Amino acid sequence: MQEEELQKTEKKSAYELFFDIPVGPQHPALKEPAFFKFRVEGERVVGVDVDVSYNHRGIERALEDRNYIQNIYLIERICGICNVAHTLCYAQAVEQLHGKEIPPRANYIRLMMEELARIHSHMLWLGVAAHEIGFDTLFMYVWRDREVVMDLIEMLTGNRVTTAVNTIGGVRRDVSNEAKDKVKKGMNVLEERLKYYRKVALNDPTVNARCSGVGILKPKDAIRLCAVGPTLRASGVKNDVRKDDPYTLHDEVPFNVITFDTMDVFARVLVRIDETLESVNMVRYCLDHMPNGDVRIKLPLSPPVGEAISRVEAPRGELIHYARSNGTKNPERYKVRTPTFENLPSVSEMLTSKSDYEVNIADIPIILASIDPCFSCTARMEFRDVSKGKTWIWSLKELKAHCSKSRR
Amino acid sequence: MDFLLELLQILVFPGILFAIGLAFVYEWLDRKIYARLQNRVGPLYTGPSGILQPFADFIKLLAKEDVVPNEVDKPLFNALPIFALTLSLTGFLALPITGLRGVISFNGDLIFLITLMTLICIVIMYSGISSANRFSTVGAERAALQLLGYEIPMMLSAISIGILASSMWVYDIVSIQANGGWFLIGPGILGFAIFVLCGQAELERIPFDIPEAETEIVAGWLTEFSGRKLALFRLTKNVELLYLSGLVVALFLGGPSGPVMPGLEFILYPLYFLLKTLFVLFLLTTLRALFARLRIDQMVNFSWKYLVPLAILQVLIVRLVV
Repeated sequence: MQEEELQKTEKKSAYELFFDIPVGPQHPALKEPAFFKFRVEGERVVGVDVDVSYNHRGIERALEDRNYIQNIYLIERICGICNVAHTLCYAQAVEQLHGKEIPPRANYIRLMMEELARIHSHMLWLGVAAHEIGFDTLFMYVWRDREVVMDLIEMLTGNRVTTAVNTIGGVRRDVSNEAKDKVKKGMNVLEERLKYYRKVALNDPTVNARCSGVGILKPKDAIRLCAVGPTLRASGVKNDVRKDDPYTLHDEVPFNVITFDTMDVFARVLVRIDETLESVNMVRYCLDHMPNGDVRIKLPLSPPVGEAISRVEAPRGELIHYARSNGTKNPERYKVRTPTFENLPSVSEMLTSKSDYEVNIADIPIILASIDPCFSCTARMEFRDVSKGKTWIWSLKELKAHCSKSRR
Repeated sequence: MDFLLELLQILVFPGILFAIGLAFVYEWLDRKIYARLQNRVGPLYTGPSGILQPFADFIKLLAKEDVVPNEVDKPLFNALPIFALTLSLTGFLALPITGLRGVISFNGDLIFLITLMTLICIVIMYSGISSANRFSTVGAERAALQLLGYEIPMMLSAISIGILASSMWVYDIVSIQANGGWFLIGPGILGFAIFVLCGQAELERIPFDIPEAETEIVAGWLTEFSGRKLALFRLTKNVELLYLSGLVVALFLGGPSGPVMPGLEFILYPLYFLLKTLFVLFLLTTLRALFARLRIDQMVNFSWKYLVPLAILQVLIVRLVV
């Protein structure tokens, strides 16, 4: 909300006891650099101001200075948790530039890794959400069970988090038969535990008290504000890139798009748990139907001139990569659109009290966490005049004018 | 000689030194049990099984820089940690440990003991407000609201015990139980449940750790305190935990009484006291591991919808029994 609007709400108060509560860039509920300024009246939140530009890393520009192989490793570091989604999206975009298909076995491994990463990300989120509502026991248990999938990822790729498994033209490691058995066993453990957590979420009275009716996002608002991923699906909108625009083998591997219609944080919890269960089944399907063959084709370093767009359903929502090649070994332009950035307008909507819907200070952490924010990929460039306290963003025209001026 | 003995009782055993030492051990136990319930190991390195960890934390905090922000109300800000610790230690002195009487014991001391807990809460409110910090202010406001929630059912259940014993003297309450069985097994069971739940709120532990909710308002009323002051507040919390479990034991579990051989009371009474407080501590810690944190409106709602009527019911039951 803008400053003038905040002042307008101030005049309406009967008590005139407003003050601002800063959440971030350092705050126990937010582990990443983002700043939320809440105007509160007692426990009630009446306004919110969002600032995410604390850590601009200039990755898109850096990508233009490196060749396509080097870029895999840079892309992977956009976000630690979504690293599989990012490399998958990147590899797809570059393969699209080349106009080449990858071997089917590689596709299966890619899909399996993607779903394993989703399991790991959603379980991490469930633990964090439990911590935000002060349920540390659930947090510890979920993270203990998350170790199962972390160990599997380590066994399959050699790394727990930064897997580096997708590469241009396929994947870097094959899956052996012993590994398959271990993954299957791990999936059985996970399925049982996830069903248990589903039961906990449904039956625990304090979890219900803290999550139900909190952070409401109506379907029409969700669509208007371009929400993506589980946030959108929890508002009852059936939207999943894996179903709508299938990539790798999502048209072959059966799965359901999970939606819930309670539109609150509770729906987001259940959507994520159910999605994780779907992912467990998808991993099993991949293991059973994986054909033999190569896992990688060799592609030349420089793709032909052209442009490509690739979409992936990352754990946090739709991820879009755009690549433009000019025939050299470096991309001419690379653009990444991450899901957290898309969900920020929705989160400000959820955090604003309306006539029949109240947001308390106590709800802030869980509402913020409910979009599964990951601000490392979110910062955008802007200009800031510290002395005047003014912030602005240049349009392309102004930027060009500035460039030509400085060139002279 | 009597004066010297009394001084020793206040300063060493079962007074201040004993209370502080035991408070550290109980914090360690609390952390250890909590950790085991969460499938963790808990403190491990300092001393055998990490038993010295709370003490080490205390020493570390004493050595840390003590920051006093410019905007705070300095005299209040400096004095409040000492007030809080004094209040909780005074409460501990009134508990019966080595005999059926505490070091301080007078007719009507049950009211005094309950008042001390309210006073600690008021000290907490003042520390939040004097900090001049936004998180602290919200924390103080929540502490006050929470006090409105839990204080009345807690007092009602304590009063019901007073009615049972026809006395507001802890000595009378304990000696009646020593002869005629614990109040927990009998008409006091509802009161026990209410008292333990409210105790959890008094100690600001999950699900009622609302005034210092970490993920919401950083450390609540405690945010601006650092170094020695933080150390004193943490010690206060530990002594208060011990004090509250001791009070539950005195009111519902017959205090330190139990089967004794003549001549061995001095060893057996404190031993019974320890065993019974450990049971209460275990209950409190388990409660802490079972729930998510409630919101302040939910807490006050819960307390006025369920705890207060139940506490009144408890008083009625007790009135019928007596």
